[in-house]
Amino acid sequence: MKIRMTCLLVAALLATITTGYAQEGKITVLNPKGTPPPISLAPIATRPASLEGKTVYFVDIKYEGGASLLHAIMDSFSQNVPKANLVFREKSGSFDQEDTNLWAEIKQKADAVVLAVGH
Amino acid sequence: MAVSIEKLGKPAVAVVTGKFVDIARTRAKKSGMPNARLVFVPHPVSGKTPQQHQAYVAGKDPISGTIVFQEIVDDLTKPLTDDDRKTGFVETKPAPRLIGPETPENLQRVFLASGWTDYLPIVLPTEQKVKDMLKGTSLSPDEVVGKMAAGAFEPWEFTVEKVAVNAVMAGAKPDYFPVILAIAASGVSSLYNSPDSLARTVVVNGPVREEIGMNFEVGAMGPFSQANATIGRAWTLISKNLGNAGIIGETYTGSQGNSLNFNNIVIAENEARSPWVPLSVQKGFKAGESVISIFSGLGIQPGQGAKGGGATKPAFDRQFSSILDNFTGYFGALIVCDPLVAKALKAQGYDTKEKLSEWLQKNTQISVADYKEENFVEQYDAPRAKQGVEPFASWFKLAPTSRIPRFTSPSDINIVVTGGEILAVFQAGNLRYVTSVAVDKWR
Repeated sequence: MKIRMTCLLVAALLATITTGYAQEGKITVLNPKGTPPPISLAPIATRPASLEGKTVYFVDIKYEGGASLLHAIMDSFSQNVPKANLVFREKSGSFDQEDTNLWAEIKQKADAVVLAVGH
Repeated sequence: MAVSIEKLGKPAVAVVTGKFVDIARTRAKKSGMPNARLVFVPHPVSGKTPQQHQAYVAGKDPISGTIVFQEIVDDLTKPLTDDDRKTGFVETKPAPRLIGPETPENLQRVFLASGWTDYLPIVLPTEQKVKDMLKGTSLSPDEVVGKMAAGAFEPWEFTVEKVAVNAVMAGAKPDYFPVILAIAASGVSSLYNSPDSLARTVVVNGPVREEIGMNFEVGAMGPFSQANATIGRAWTLISKNLGNAGIIGETYTGSQGNSLNFNNIVIAENEARSPWVPLSVQKGFKAGESVISIFSGLGIQPGQGAKGGGATKPAFDRQFSSILDNFTGYFGALIVCDPLVAKALKAQGYDTKEKLSEWLQKNTQISVADYKEENFVEQYDAPRAKQGVEPFASWFKLAPTSRIPRFTSPSDINIVVTGGEILAVFQAGNLRYVTSVAVDKWR
């Protein structure tokens, strides 16, 4: 009888603990998200006070409609900044590729650049 | 690209459509120039007349409300602020390794709200479950697996443990883990930042297919195997969480999305029933080596609508060609044959996959006029033609009525075999081969 009472007591205690745990019912999990790499900040290039007399490159990145949009921008430049020297260039390679030759030309000859992505 | 120009010391402004505000700003920020000058015009630019483009330039930037032309001039001439001149590093602190304790229901909500899932319930990655997953490899949890990015973004580096967490979430078993690690090590994100809503495919070859219970018999490409299903799902979760892919507006711009991205196209090749060598052997691996091979492209379609001999006397080579006739050559082709189709082709004289690829490349043609009108040709081939890259340079000089191969090379057309020989059917994907990775290194 004493043993039976003890068993019942243990069972009740276990039930209480289990119930308590179930009420608590909380778990810890691992975070699935990775960490981005550090970003190296680069300063923006110094601006000229005016574009008059400057060489402005218009670069088509190569996406649909970009060239036509750039020509529309160039038309506005012709009207509003008449002394600017306007140069149109189509970037070589697909739209997501850098064009090192054109970048070298820009570094040597351009004072400012307008790029149109299109889409 | 404006950032590249600024880094040359030249003032630059990028003109982008209003649909790409978030992605343009994110890319500028990730490139180290959060204040890069961006001017927005109404969307779209493509398909509009020169007059409409002039109206865009004379009109207002839909984001800033400033006249577009004036904004361009101001962005190229206005003095810089102190913020514009900032240098140094911006580091993001790693997120805490553990989350909780919290109720499973709340954790599901947290994972969902954080964008860490595929919007289906996940298996919560408890420490015990992740520990069990790590038993699937001999590698250390902190070993670096590789880097991944969803396009022209900075690649994120990740460890074995991080891949294990995502594999648990997908419902994968530890036995599948080496295959999942090999896919992760490819560095190819299953979600890619393209308005074309691209799809990805993984082909699995070698003994690992049978060891982990992949299905390459009846229903091979359907939801009939835990291994096939969860390996593909893990790839997308890894891409989202470890490659930072699939953030709409920032790293994902698929206009319609692609339902294949849920768990991708997972193909275990039926090597025993195939009359040809496995894909992995074609790619330079030894027979009997376990290998994953990745493909990328627009999706996959059934071959039942193909023309060529009908259903009773099918000429499968002609049927393939008729389906491939609607593909863009840029993304190549992946033909998935039931073994019955493969055996019929072998009997027809195609004793190697290469012979079939050569016939298809030669006989699937397009007129130069139609070729030049294709979207991807304008984006990718036309610039290469201008650079003198062959065969594009020669193709662009031909008369509009001339016929040219739709695919540049026979190697653009890959063939795999899977299925249970219930019916002689095939599927064809406008999918290009990207890379292969050996699985054994990741065991």
